[in-house]
Amino acid sequence: MSTPAPAPDRPADQDAQQRRGTLRGAIDGVRTMELTTSQKLMVFVLSMSLFGLSNILLEIIPEPSIGPVEFSISNMIFIPLAVAALFSPLWAALGAPLGEIVFTDLLMGDFSGLAEVEGYLQMFLAIYIGGSMVRNPSNKVQIAIGAISIILIDKVLSAIVDLSKVWIGVEEAEYVEGLPQSILAVEAVGLGMDVLISGILFGAIPAIWLIPRLYGRIEPLMGMRPRVPGEPIPGDAPKGPLFVGFALFLSAASFGFAFLEAFDLSAGAWEPDFLGRFGDSFLWLSVAAILLVLGVTVLLFKLAQKRSSHDDAR
Amino acid sequence: MARKTRDVLSVEWVRLELLRTAYATRGGLLARMDPRMVLLWYVLLAAAPWLTHNVTVLIGLFVLGAASVVASRVGPLVLGLFVFGLTTDIIALFAASFFFGGDWNTLAALAVLNLKIGVMSMASMAAFISLDPEKLSDALLALRAPELLAFGVSYGYRMLPILVDEYITVLEGMRLRSAAPASRGLLGWRTVLHWSVMSVTAFYPIMLNTAKNVRTTVEALETRGFTYAAHNPKGRTLRLAHLKVRGFDVAVVLTTLALVVLAFAIGVEYPLYRIG
Repeated sequence: MSTPAPAPDRPADQDAQQRRGTLRGAIDGVRTMELTTSQKLMVFVLSMSLFGLSNILLEIIPEPSIGPVEFSISNMIFIPLAVAALFSPLWAALGAPLGEIVFTDLLMGDFSGLAEVEGYLQMFLAIYIGGSMVRNPSNKVQIAIGAISIILIDKVLSAIVDLSKVWIGVEEAEYVEGLPQSILAVEAVGLGMDVLISGILFGAIPAIWLIPRLYGRIEPLMGMRPRVPGEPIPGDAPKGPLFVGFALFLSAASFGFAFLEAFDLSAGAWEPDFLGRFGDSFLWLSVAAILLVLGVTVLLFKLAQKRSSHDDAR
Repeated sequence: MARKTRDVLSVEWVRLELLRTAYATRGGLLARMDPRMVLLWYVLLAAAPWLTHNVTVLIGLFVLGAASVVASRVGPLVLGLFVFGLTTDIIALFAASFFFGGDWNTLAALAVLNLKIGVMSMASMAAFISLDPEKLSDALLALRAPELLAFGVSYGYRMLPILVDEYITVLEGMRLRSAAPASRGLLGWRTVLHWSVMSVTAFYPIMLNTAKNVRTTVEALETRGFTYAAHNPKGRTLRLAHLKVRGFDVAVVLTTLALVVLAFAIGVEYPLYRIG
């Protein structure tokens, strides 16, 4: 493996730590920030099992609610944030939502089939973006911003999906009174509560306490060296049009699943004559669309796999 | 203050029940089948409700789902959680729409959706409780799912009890070493705060321990060539050689298919598009 070209000189007013990090990232062939295969697997498994454990705990805790407003902790987001900030955002983000699905949803019979894909993608995006914001694991401001943005991204994405379901679904069925407004209000209040409880009380505050404490202690246990502030993010996503296309198609598919449900609500329950006019063909059309998207996804995945095995062989 | 012991709903009971769910299949119908066929069965039953809006068909499918839950002997915890979740879902949505001026129409509309989701949840309960982790991950691998997913499933199910055990040990240790708050405060907020702080700080030793365990596991796996074996077609065939589809599996899937078709046929005969 060739050593990357030395970093160009930076202006003198640049943060000294920042500069040290840039230099250390490329210091020799042994200490590059490329993660090895087993290190990637370690980060993935660590994030998956810890986030799964925290979800099991939350499953046991009762969730008091006043009317439609729930005072519940939706996620202990400081755990995947810690793994992302200390090791690698990409592999932490791939692992954590899988832990949630495997540990709680599958075990508890709460598995909602293909709609889980939607939840996985939202969580993945949230942790990946939020985790990438923490460049210096001992900077408390960055940690707080990271924690809150994880909750914001996750919840806003799911609120958008929910709201557009109602908007598309109920627009022609206005005679069901109260539903759009009620869902809008519930979503807004729910978002505020989530940011307060999951984002700050069980997100930012524990993360600020935990991450600097683990920094420098947990890495040797995994056989890695601590991150130096300012160096490039380790184990970053493969930058290729294929990866982007894959992500885009997956999100399109996930919206497809969400909207199949929405279509179902509107056409199935409130407008029986709608079905009479168009027959079931409309439904089959959306099923066909989902199948098409799934097929393309599988194809892209195969291509990516072939490419990566080609890379391995080199 | 006298301590109340609750035999039924304690954390320990939940943990044991989870262990039983993950490992000891109670020997139901689906547990004897080939895992790939169980997944096929699941897809069949989970997809069927989305192809119709006919309430008669949905009720038929619901009965079928309930029968399969009984046949695969789902435990009380998972079943209880499912029933609890379904009822609270209905009540919460109803309360919300009623609060903003909705009426019975709204509930009827939501009932259809809840019926569909109920069928799907029951199918997933029956299927995933009958599959132990090894079988599930083999099936996923056989269907060419990403290796990380297959590995995650089997590792997750194996490690879960150990992790929960470790966490409870740490939490109990912290409880022994710290004083409970002198007064409970308004609505017991001091107690809630005490417990919250403990349950979060307990993650510090847990994360360090888990990091060590994960490294041991992964390095042991990689020494035996885990990643490369998963990529290698020869290794794959060797690992999946024990999977066999027998007549029994085909019979179960075909019977389910026939029952689903029957439900649709009854639905054509007695169509019902809305409740109330």
